[in-house]
Amino acid sequence: MMDNNLLPRIIVCLDVDKGRVVKGTNFKQLRDMGDPVELAIAYENQGADELVFLDISASNENRPTALKLVTDIAKNLSIPFTVGGGLKQLDDVKAFLDAGADKVALNTTAVLKPEIINQTAKAYGSQCVVVAIDVNKANSDLKFYINGGRQLVEKNFSDWTKEVAERGAGEILLTAMHKDGTGSGFDTELTKSISQQVPVQVIASGGAKNEEHFLQAFKGGADACLAAGMFHSGEYTVNQVKQYLLENDLQVRI
Amino acid sequence: MKNILIIDTKAGNLFSLQAAIERLGHSVKILQQPDNASYDGIVIPGQGRFGTVLKNIRENKWFSYIEKELEKSTPILGICVGMQIFFEGSDEDPNVAGLNWFKGCVRALDFPKKPMVGWAKLKSKIWNDKVVYFVNSYAVKHSEICIAETSYGEIFCAAVRKGSFVGVQFHPEKSGKVGSELIDQVLTGGLREIV
Repeated sequence: MMDNNLLPRIIVCLDVDKGRVVKGTNFKQLRDMGDPVELAIAYENQGADELVFLDISASNENRPTALKLVTDIAKNLSIPFTVGGGLKQLDDVKAFLDAGADKVALNTTAVLKPEIINQTAKAYGSQCVVVAIDVNKANSDLKFYINGGRQLVEKNFSDWTKEVAERGAGEILLTAMHKDGTGSGFDTELTKSISQQVPVQVIASGGAKNEEHFLQAFKGGADACLAAGMFHSGEYTVNQVKQYLLENDLQVRI
Repeated sequence: MKNILIIDTKAGNLFSLQAAIERLGHSVKILQQPDNASYDGIVIPGQGRFGTVLKNIRENKWFSYIEKELEKSTPILGICVGMQIFFEGSDEDPNVAGLNWFKGCVRALDFPKKPMVGWAKLKSKIWNDKVVYFVNSYAVKHSEICIAETSYGEIFCAAVRKGSFVGVQFHPEKSGKVGSELIDQVLTGGLREIV
């Protein structure tokens, strides 16, 4: 692989519900983590290279509030951020990009209406389009899912990664469901193989629990790594992880 | 405090850029066509395609406005496509002539993964080793007015300077504290090392 000079990115993911950042895998027990704008600034100051806000846009009734929140984030943040979850049509995508999001993450909608990838890329550029893919490994077989990991997609996973890139995705956010919540580290092999197959950047997600997991993933070829829990719990700051990467001869943005 | 004009080329939202400049303590005016007021600094934002932005700049008489301001040495910051339009042309829209103010053409980056998205270090006399955020598939490979370089498969020009005009290929409004400092330097007319 040619030298691309890009520094590995650490991306922090925040789940938003009704205008607040929430935590919890169990939807019945969402814990309030705080104000999205305040947390976003805190993570920028910790050294996060980018932020992802999920489900910020999920509820239609709260659309104006969600859009205003996105604009507030854009006004307060000086690093890029992505919004995703609940973007069902091109108008939704446009509304959130116009409100100030740098990128949108498309998952279920990308599968149901793949032309939305082309349309968004054409209207705003590929750099605005992140396609999120939730993949699960069962018996060495890779299958991918939509609707928050609940619905299996009857398509070949590898073909889908290539198709989204051809349609104009600028990045792929690859969440390894079989790693999510395990704390056993990113699926480095998977990230590496997709990153080599597809001519766009691949963001590894799922499984991070400590600084070593980031080192493994970046050394294995991930362009970026996304994590949530280990940062939200206060166990690690982004800067701590970056210091560890630096000590291990990986260049990062400090 | 400076009065800063952002030229709205109608190619995208300007919230981050406006906020970045306002956080520096400057006031911002956003215009789609020139007015008769006087500004301390001008920003040409980095959204949109080469051809579309040029069409807007030409139709709204911005080029003659910018030329006059440069004669007065008003600091001007061109971001990404807002810098590219001053070159001769671009691979992005090969049939559209650039403003031809700088020698050279904007070329597609020769790297399999496109667009280039992410943080990269600058090689520069004044901003050496500073890390800034890039989002681009096209860039100027060589320029005699280059003041910073970076590489993505190959070396390209990350910033240019001519008179009071500074153009950057990266997005300073998305480049954290380094980016803010850089915007301030350009708009207050004093490029120097960032400590």
